[in-house]
Amino acid sequence: MALIERQKTDVLVPAVVTPSSTYGAFRRPVETTGWKSWLFTIDHKKLGIMYGAAALFFFVVGGLEALLIRAQLAGPDGTILSADKYNQMFTMHATTMVFLFVMPMAAAFANYFVPLQIGARDVAFPRINAFGFWCFLFGAIFINTSWLLGGAADGGWFMYAPNSSVPFSPTHGIDFWALGLQITGIASLTGAINLIVTVINMRAPGMTLMKMPIFTWMILVVQFLLLFAIPVITVALFLLMFQRVFDATFFSVEAGADPLLWQHLFWIFGHPEVYILILPSFGIVSEVLPVFSKKPLFGYPLVVFSGAAIGFVGWGVWAHHMFASGLGPISVAVFSVSTMAIAIPTGVKIVNWTMTMWGGKITFTTSMLFAIGLIVQFTIGGLSGVTHSVAPSDTQQTDTYYIVAHFHYVLFGGAILGIFSGLYYWWPKIFGKMLSESLGKWNFWLMIVGMNLTFGPMHIIGLQGQPRRMYRWTENRAGEGFFNLGFWNLVASIGSFVLGIGILLFFINIVVSHRRHGPAPLDPWDARSLEWMTTNPPKEHNFDQIPVVGHLDEFFHRKYEDRGDGDHHEFVQVATAEEIMADQEAHADAHIHLPSPSYWPILLALGLPVMAYGVIFNFILIPIGAAIVLLSMFGWSLEPHTAADADYDPPPSSGGAALEVADHG
Amino acid sequence: MFTTGSKLLIGSAFAAAVFATAYGITQGGALGTIGLISAALALSMLAALNIMVRDSNVSAMDHAAFESSPAAQASARPSLWPLLVAIGATTLTLGLVTSRAFFILGLVAIIAGGLEWLVQGWSERASSELAYNASARNLLADPLELPVAGAAGAAVVVYAFSRVMLGLPNKSSTVVAFAVLAAIVVASGAFVGTKRGLSRAAMTGAFSVAIVALIAAGAVFGLLGERATEEHHTTAYIAEENECGVAPTEADEGASQTIGGKSNLAAEVIFDGSTLTSKATGFTGTFDTLTLPRSNSNNIAFRNDSGDVARLVIEMHPLENSDGELSGAERLCTALVDEGGVQLLTIVFDRPSRAIEGGYEFTVPGSDVRLEVVVP
Amino acid sequence: MTDTRSPRPFLAPVAALGAMLVLASCASNAPQDTWKPEGEYAQKIQDLQWWVFLIAGIVGVIVFLVVLFAVIKFRDRGQAIPEQSHGNTLIEYAFIAGPAVLLAVIAIPTVSLVLELNDTADADCVVNVTGQQWWWEYDYPIDADGNICGFAPTADAAPIVTSGQMIIPTQAKVVIRGTSRDVIHSFWVPKLNGKRDMVPGRVHTWNFQANRPGIYAGQCAEFCGLSHANMRMEIVALDDADFQAWIDNQLEPYQSPAEGTLAAAGETTFAAQCASCHQVDGLTNADGELIIAQPENRVWSGAAPNLTNLMTRNTFAGASWDLLIDQCRDDVWEADPDKFGERYLQGVAPECLNQIDLKEWLRNAPAKKPMYADPEQLEETDGLVRGMPNLNLSEDQINELVAYLLERK
Repeated sequence: MALIERQKTDVLVPAVVTPSSTYGAFRRPVETTGWKSWLFTIDHKKLGIMYGAAALFFFVVGGLEALLIRAQLAGPDGTILSADKYNQMFTMHATTMVFLFVMPMAAAFANYFVPLQIGARDVAFPRINAFGFWCFLFGAIFINTSWLLGGAADGGWFMYAPNSSVPFSPTHGIDFWALGLQITGIASLTGAINLIVTVINMRAPGMTLMKMPIFTWMILVVQFLLLFAIPVITVALFLLMFQRVFDATFFSVEAGADPLLWQHLFWIFGHPEVYILILPSFGIVSEVLPVFSKKPLFGYPLVVFSGAAIGFVGWGVWAHHMFASGLGPISVAVFSVSTMAIAIPTGVKIVNWTMTMWGGKITFTTSMLFAIGLIVQFTIGGLSGVTHSVAPSDTQQTDTYYIVAHFHYVLFGGAILGIFSGLYYWWPKIFGKMLSESLGKWNFWLMIVGMNLTFGPMHIIGLQGQPRRMYRWTENRAGEGFFNLGFWNLVASIGSFVLGIGILLFFINIVVSHRRHGPAPLDPWDARSLEWMTTNPPKEHNFDQIPVVGHLDEFFHRKYEDRGDGDHHEFVQVATAEEIMADQEAHADAHIHLPSPSYWPILLALGLPVMAYGVIFNFILIPIGAAIVLLSMFGWSLEPHTAADADYDPPPSSGGAALEVADHG
Repeated sequence: MFTTGSKLLIGSAFAAAVFATAYGITQGGALGTIGLISAALALSMLAALNIMVRDSNVSAMDHAAFESSPAAQASARPSLWPLLVAIGATTLTLGLVTSRAFFILGLVAIIAGGLEWLVQGWSERASSELAYNASARNLLADPLELPVAGAAGAAVVVYAFSRVMLGLPNKSSTVVAFAVLAAIVVASGAFVGTKRGLSRAAMTGAFSVAIVALIAAGAVFGLLGERATEEHHTTAYIAEENECGVAPTEADEGASQTIGGKSNLAAEVIFDGSTLTSKATGFTGTFDTLTLPRSNSNNIAFRNDSGDVARLVIEMHPLENSDGELSGAERLCTALVDEGGVQLLTIVFDRPSRAIEGGYEFTVPGSDVRLEVVVP
Repeated sequence: MTDTRSPRPFLAPVAALGAMLVLASCASNAPQDTWKPEGEYAQKIQDLQWWVFLIAGIVGVIVFLVVLFAVIKFRDRGQAIPEQSHGNTLIEYAFIAGPAVLLAVIAIPTVSLVLELNDTADADCVVNVTGQQWWWEYDYPIDADGNICGFAPTADAAPIVTSGQMIIPTQAKVVIRGTSRDVIHSFWVPKLNGKRDMVPGRVHTWNFQANRPGIYAGQCAEFCGLSHANMRMEIVALDDADFQAWIDNQLEPYQSPAEGTLAAAGETTFAAQCASCHQVDGLTNADGELIIAQPENRVWSGAAPNLTNLMTRNTFAGASWDLLIDQCRDDVWEADPDKFGERYLQGVAPECLNQIDLKEWLRNAPAKKPMYADPEQLEETDGLVRGMPNLNLSEDQINELVAYLLERK
C-alpha cells in the first residue's frame, strides 16, 4: 500500500546484494481494502475512524445502562434492577462514558485531525498509534466481559477503599475494572506521547505555536494532562490490584492504613480527568464557532492560555471532591478557594466564544447549534459548579443528585454536545458525505430538550435531599405536593428516553444520509483551517503538497484577501477551495514517505487482556500472554517501517529497489 | 591448492606431532604425550575438513557466485564477544573452585556473549552493506539488549550506591551523603544547563568517570562490609511474649517517638507522672475515663508528659472462639515512650467492658495510675 | 407547592431552562430538603448559599441573554464578511477581572464559615456515632461529671447504646464523634447540617443543633455497598424535660415478660435465636448469667443493633422501615413541636405496631433489604455475614418474638 508513486530510482551498485527486508516468516499486510486494511492499518485516519466507531458503540452501551438506571428510578421502590445489578449499572455507566466513550472519542478526533490541522502526513509514531487503539478496544471489551463472568464492578467509578476490597465486593467485577483500565491507560499514555511529539515536531513550515489551530492546542494541553494523570491512576490501580489479588494491606484499616489514601490518589487523577474530558470539546467548538460566525476566534491567545491555565490549576483542586471526607478545615478552605480560581479561565472561554459570535455573520448549521448549545448548557454546569466550590454548601450538595445534575451539564452539556458539534462539522471531511441538516436539527433539539428534562430536575431532586447511587428511593422522603421528588424523578426518567430518541436520530441520520446523499462539496462550511485544504475524505498521504503557513486560519486567508486600506477592511474572495486544491495537486511533492501496515500492534495489544484474564482466573495465562507480547515486540522491532516489494503480490508495477523509510516507527 | 586457513592448521598439526614425539622421548609422561598426539590428530582432521570445504569459500572460478557471495564481500568485523565468552569461561571455572557468584557471573557472560556473537555473526552474513548489517543486528538485538542492559546498568548503579550507603557508619552520615550527592547532581545539572556548547564526548567522558567512580566506591564499601544493622521486635511481638512491663525490651530501642502524620485519632492518652487522663476528639478538657466503640479499630495516641520513660498497657481479655482458641492478643502495649514523646496504639475491643471482670483499663507499668475504658 | 416562607433563589440557575421556569416548583415538606434549615449550622450554610446561588443565577441569566441577543442580531442576513478582528485586550482583561472579583467576594465568607462549621469547642453533648453496613449505632458516653449528654440520669449512669434514631436535646450544641466499622459512610441530616464522611480508623467530628423538637430525616450519603439505599438515620430532638425522661427510660433495668405470656416464650426464642448478635441489656440465660452478644463471631463488621429499647424508637433495620403504622407515624412526625416529645416518648404501642414489615423482616431479612447472607458469597469473609441472615424462623417463633420485642421499651 502506502507508497503513492514509487519513484523509479537507479539501483544502488550492481554488484551489491539487495538486503532482504523480511526477517520474519510473515509477509507484510499490504491490503488497501477489505478487513485486513483496517485491522492492520497504522493510518491515523483509519485509526481515528475506528476510535470513533468503537467509542460510539460504547456510548450506546453506556446510554442503555443509563436508561436502565432511569427506568429503575422512575418510581419509588423500583424493581427493574436488583440492588446488586443497579450498583454494577451505575459503576459501569460512569466507567463506560468516561473511559470508553468520551476519552476515545476525543482520541478519535485528535488522531484524525491533529495531523491534518498541522499539515502533517501522519502522527510521529504510527504503529504505536495503532497499538494504542487496540489497547483501548481490547481493554474496553475486557472490562465489559465481566458482565458475563460473574458480574461487573460494583464499587462506583470512584471505587473508594475499603469498599473495593474483596470482603465487600467478592465478585471479580472490580478486578476486571482495575485491570481493564490499566490496559486502556496504556492507550491513553502512548497516545499522549505520540500526539505531543507530533504536535511539537511535525507542524507544517511556518506554523508557529501561536498560529496553531485552537483544537490542536486544546488536544496538546489534554495530552500533557494525560501524560501526568494516567501514571497516578496506574499506581492507584496497582495498589488496588495488589490489595485484591495478593492480599496487600494498602487500604486495610486494621493494619494501620488510612482509606483516604485512595481518595487522594483517585482524585489527583480524577480531577484533571474532568479537563481531559472537556477540553477537546472546547477545542471543537472553538473551531466551529468562528467558521459559522465568519470571524476569527475572539482572543485566540487568551483561549490558548486559559486552556493551559486550566491544565495547570486543574492539578490543585482535587480535594474539592473530598469536602465531606473530613480533611480538616484548613485543607477544605484552601481547596475551596483554588476551585473558585479555576472558574476564571473557564469563564474566559465562555466570554470569548460569545464575543466570537458578536458582530459575526452566523449561520445555524447543526454543528453550530450544538456549539451554541454547549455554551448555554456548559454555563449552567459551570455556575452550579461555583455553588459547590463553596465548601459549606457543598457539604449539603455532595453525593446528591445536585452533583449528578452539575456534572451532567458539564459533561453532557459540555463534552458530548461538543463531540456532536464536531461530528456534524467534520463528517463530510471524514466520509465525504454531508449529514442531513434537517434530521440533524431534530437530533439537536431532541437532545437539548431531553438533556434538560433529564438533568434539570436533578438540581431540584438533589437540593431537596435525594442522595446519589441509591438503587431505590422511598416516598417517605419524597415530600408532598404535585411537584414532589417523585414527580421530578419521573420527569427525569421520561427526559432520559427523549434524550435516547435524540441520540438514536443521529444514527438514523448516518444511515439515511449515506444512502441518499451524493459526495459532499470540497469546502461545505467555508472553513478556516488546514484540514479542509485537502480532498474529502483526505488522501492517504493527507496533502499532495505540505502547505506553508503564514496565518492563523491559513485556509481562510488563502481564500479571502483584505482589499481595504487602513482601518477599513473588506474581505474579498480570491480563490475557491477547488482552485487551491488544484494548485496543490499541480505541485504535488515527488517523494511521499508513508509507513506500511503491520500485524504487530494488534497482536501485542492482544497479549495484554490474556495476561489480565490470567491474573483473575488462572496464572498460567500470564506467561502465555507475556509470550504473545514478547513475540510481537520482536516482530515489531524486526519489521522495517515500509513494506518490501516482496510483500506485494504481485509486486507493484513501478517497484524499485529503493527503500522508503519513514522517520519513526 | 591449500587455502590460507588450511595452511595454518596443517602447520599446527605438524608442530603438535613434532612436540608429541619430542615430549614422549624427553619427558616420557604418558598423559602429556597422549594429549599432544590427540591435539595433532584433531588439528589434522580440521585441516582436512578445511581443505575439503576450501575455507568455506565459493569457487574462485565461479565468478558470479563468487562476487555475490557475502563472504567475498565482507570481512568479519571486529568483535568483543569472543573476549567476553573467554572471560566468562575463565570466571565460570574460577567460580567452580571459589564461589558460586563467580560461577553465575561467568555463566551469564558466556550466554550473553554467545548470544551476541550469534547475532553479530548472523548479521554480518546478511548482506554486503555494512550499514545495513548493523541495522539488521540492532533490529534483532535491541528489543532484548536495551531493556536488559538498561536494567543491568540501573541494578549496578543502585547496588553500588546501596553498598556505599550501607557501608557508611551511621544514619546521619548517610543523610549527609545523600545531601552531598543531590547537591552534586543539581550542580552538574545546572552547569550542563548553562553550558549549552559542551561536546558530546566531554559529557560522555564525565558521565563515565562518575559511573566508574560510583562502582569503584561500591566495590570498596562492599568489601569493607555493612555497618551493624539494628533489629527490632514489634510491640505486638513483645505483647505476645508478655513483656509489656516496666523494663526496656528490644522493641523499645530506637522506637519512634512521634506520630506526626496521624490525624483524627479516637483519643489521646496523657501520662503526667501522677495521673493518666484522656483527651478525646470532640470533648473539651481531659477525663479520667474514655468511651470507645466496640468491634472497631480505635487509634489512640499515648503522650508521655512525665519526667521518665513510660509505656501504656491494656489487658485485652481475648475471647475463646468455637474451636477454643483465643482470638487476638492478650494485652497490647506501646513501646517505651521518652519524655515528651508520643506513640500510637490501635485497639479493637471484641466485647463490651461489662462482660469483663473489672472492665478495661489502661495502665502504666511502674506506676499505679489507671484510666478506665468504657466499651458500651 | 410554592412555599412562601423562604425565598427560592436556587431556582435562578434553573430558571434558564425555559420549561422549568413555568413549572418552578418543588416538593413541599421534603424531609431532607437542604433549603429548609431547622438548626443553627444548616441555617448558616443557607445564609451563605442563597446569595451564591443568586449571583450564579444572575450571571447565568446575563450570559443567556447575551448569547440569545448575539444569535438573533448577528445571524446571517447576507451582510458582508465581518472584520477579522482577533480580540480586544481591554474587554478580555475586564472579563478576567470581573469574575475574579466576584469569586473573591464569595471566597471570604466561605473560608470563615468552613472554620466555624468545624469548631467543636464548647459542646453541650457528645455522641459517638458508628456506621456499619447498613445502619448507624449511637452511644452516649458518660462525661467527667457523670452526666450523659449534659443531663444527670436519675438512676446509675451507664452508656446508652441505640441505633437508627439519634436522640438529642433541643437547642444544645451536639458534637458527634463519628467513625465506621467497615467501609466509608457519610452522616447527613440535611435540615440540621451538611454531611461528614465516617471513615474507618479515623474519628471525625461534626456539629448539630436543632431549633425545635421534631424528627429530622437523614440518609447515608457515601456509597457503602449493596444496601446503601437502605441506610438511613433520623435525628430526634426533644426538649430538655423530655430528653431527661428519655435518658431515664433508657437506663431502666430490664424486666422479663410475665410468666406464661407469649412474650415470655419470645424471650426464650430471642435468647436462643437472636441474642448471639443482638444485645438486650439485662437478659439472662437459663443459668441466670447475663447474656453478652458476640456479633463478632457472626457479622463481618462485628456489631448488630442493640435491641434493649427497640420500641422506644420508631424505625428499624437501618431506619429503613417504620415500626409505626402510617397513622401513628403521622401523629408523631406531624405533631406540634410542643406536643412532639410526649408523642415520641410513648414509643410503639401494640396497636400502632407495623406488624407487616417487622414480620417480613423476621421471616427473611435479606429478601427485604439486600444483604450478604448467602453462604456462597461468604467465602471471602470467613463465613461472616454482612447484614442479617435469614434465620428460618417459624411463624410461631415470629409471633413470640414480636410479642417479646413489643415490651422492649
